[in-house]
Amino acid sequence: MKISKLKLNHFRNYEHVDINFAPGVNVLLGNNAQGKTNLLESIYVLALTKSHRTNNNSDLIQWKHQNAQLKTLITKDSGQLNLELDLSKKGKRAKVNHIEQAKLSTYVGQLNVILFAPEDLSIVKGSPQVRRRFMDIEFGQMSNQYLYNTVQYQRVLKQRNKYLKLLQIKRASDLVYLDVLSDQLSAYGSEIIYQRLKLLKQLEHWSSAIHSTISQNQEQLTFKYVTALKQTQLHSVDSIYEGLKNAFQSERNREIRMGTTVLGPHRDDLKFQINHNDVQTFGSQGQQRTTALSVKLAEIDLMKAETGEYPVLLLDDVLSELDDNRQTHLLKAIQDKVQTFLTTTSLSGIARDLIHDPKVFQINDGSLRVD
Amino acid sequence: MQYPEPIAKLIDSYMHLPGIGRKTAVRLAYFTVNMDKNDIANFAEALTETKDKLRYCSICGNLTDEDPCEICQDPTRNQSEILVVEQPKDIMVMERMKDYHGLYHVLGGVLSPMDGKGPDELNVRSLIKRLQANEAVNEVIIATNATPEGEATAMYLSKLIKPAGIKVTRLAHGLSVGSDIEYADEMTLFKAVQGRTEI
Repeated sequence: MKISKLKLNHFRNYEHVDINFAPGVNVLLGNNAQGKTNLLESIYVLALTKSHRTNNNSDLIQWKHQNAQLKTLITKDSGQLNLELDLSKKGKRAKVNHIEQAKLSTYVGQLNVILFAPEDLSIVKGSPQVRRRFMDIEFGQMSNQYLYNTVQYQRVLKQRNKYLKLLQIKRASDLVYLDVLSDQLSAYGSEIIYQRLKLLKQLEHWSSAIHSTISQNQEQLTFKYVTALKQTQLHSVDSIYEGLKNAFQSERNREIRMGTTVLGPHRDDLKFQINHNDVQTFGSQGQQRTTALSVKLAEIDLMKAETGEYPVLLLDDVLSELDDNRQTHLLKAIQDKVQTFLTTTSLSGIARDLIHDPKVFQINDGSLRVD
Repeated sequence: MQYPEPIAKLIDSYMHLPGIGRKTAVRLAYFTVNMDKNDIANFAEALTETKDKLRYCSICGNLTDEDPCEICQDPTRNQSEILVVEQPKDIMVMERMKDYHGLYHVLGGVLSPMDGKGPDELNVRSLIKRLQANEAVNEVIIATNATPEGEATAMYLSKLIKPAGIKVTRLAHGLSVGSDIEYADEMTLFKAVQGRTEI
C-alpha cells in the first residue's frame, strides 16, 4: 500500500498542500517547529480518523478556520482509492472514493499505517494503559470486528460503571439488570480477549525472530498476556465468556462496594519478557529499545499477513534515537517493500547508503519543497 | 440590536425542538411572522391540543386521545401476543406493516443508566402486571432497537418474563429487504450470517 498523493487544507500549520510522494522512502527535512510531525500526523489522521497527539479535533484545524480537509490517493494491489476526511468542530466526515461513509468504522482500515515515534518506547516502559491502547489501535486497523467489539465494549462498560455507582449509593437495587450488563460485557469482552491472544501470538512470532537477529541470537523475546482469567479458561471465545461471567459473579460484592468494573480487557496488560525476565522491570535501556523496535517492525509483517498489504510506515524522529546497529535493522526491514515517511532535522546521522533513492522534502513554516 | 421580543421568544421556542439550531430557528421564526393568520391559529391550536387532549394509555403506554387506546379496546385483535417497543412512534411503524394484529406495550425508552433510565423509569412494572393479570398472553415479542442498550433491555425483559412460562422472542437482525449484499457493512453481514435460516 502506497500513498501517491496528499492534499491538505487548513490542517495544523498547513494552509494548502498538494504533493506527490515517492513509493519508497520520503524524507521530511526541516528545522524544529516547521511542521514535519504535523505532516506525519495528517497521514495518521487519514488512516485512523484520530490523532496520536490530541483528542481534540479543533487542535488539528488551522487557527481562525472552521474546518480542515485531508485528501489522499492511495495505491493498493487491488487498485487506487481516494480517501477524504473533513474535520470540523462539530465532528468528522469520511469519504471512500467520494462516497460518504455513514460510520467511521467502515472507513478505518482502508489505509493502514504504523507510526514509530520516540514515545513508542513507552509501550515497554509505560503504564498498562499505553499497551492496551497499542493493541486496540493496531488490531482495530487489522480487523473491523475487533474495532466494533472495542467500541461496543466501551459503551457497555460506561453503562455498567454508572449502574454500579448507583448500586453503591443505593439509588438502584435491581441485580437482574446488573447480570444482564455483565453478560453483555462478557460477550464483547470475550471476543476482544480472544482476538488479542490470537494476534499477539502472531506478533510474538515475528517480534522474537527480529529481536533475536538484532541481539545476535543472545536474547529470546516472549509475550505474556496478563488477565484476571486463568490460562485454562483462555482456549476459546466461549470459555473466555464463561470465565468472565463467573468472575463478575464472584466479584459482585466488591464491584458494588467500589462502584466500578474491576476486571475485563480494559484492565488487562501485556508483558514483554527477554529470556523469561520482565523487560519493563529488569531490562536495560538498550533491551527496552530493542524490544520496542522489534515489536514495531513485527507489526509490519503482521499487518501484511492480516490485510494482504504492507502498511505505510511513519517514523517520527526515531532514527536519531537508534544506534547504527538498530538503524541498519530498521532500514533493512523496510527496504524496497514498505513506503516510509521519516522526519529529521539533518541528513547527516542517517545511514544513507541503505536508503534507495529517497525523495527529500524541505519543510519550512508550513510549506513543502521537493529538494 | 436585539430581536423584537415576540420574535426572540419564538426563536427560543423553536430551539427547544430536536435537530434545530439557532440559524434554523431564526429562519423558521421569520417564516412564521409572514404566515397567514388562520394558519397560525391552527398551528397554535395543534400545539396546545398535544398537551390538552393527548395522554398515555393506562394499559399499554401508547399516546392516545382516549383511554384505553384504540388498540387496547379492539376485541378483534389477537390477545395472546404483546409486542414491546421503545416509543409510541414505533407502534405507528409496526401498524403500517399491516401484518401484526396483536397488542402492544410501550416502554418509553431503553435501560441506560448514563441517561438516568433504570427499570423503574420505564413501563416495565406495568408490563409485568399486565402479564400477571392476563392469562391469554403466550408470546412477548421484543422490538427494541439493535443498539447495546436495546439488546440489554431485551435480555432484561426476557429474564423477567421467561420464568413465567411465556415465550419471549426478539426481532431478527441482518440484511434489510431489497438491499444489495455488496453495500452492507461487515457487522451487518456478520449478524446476517450468524442468524441464517434453513430453506
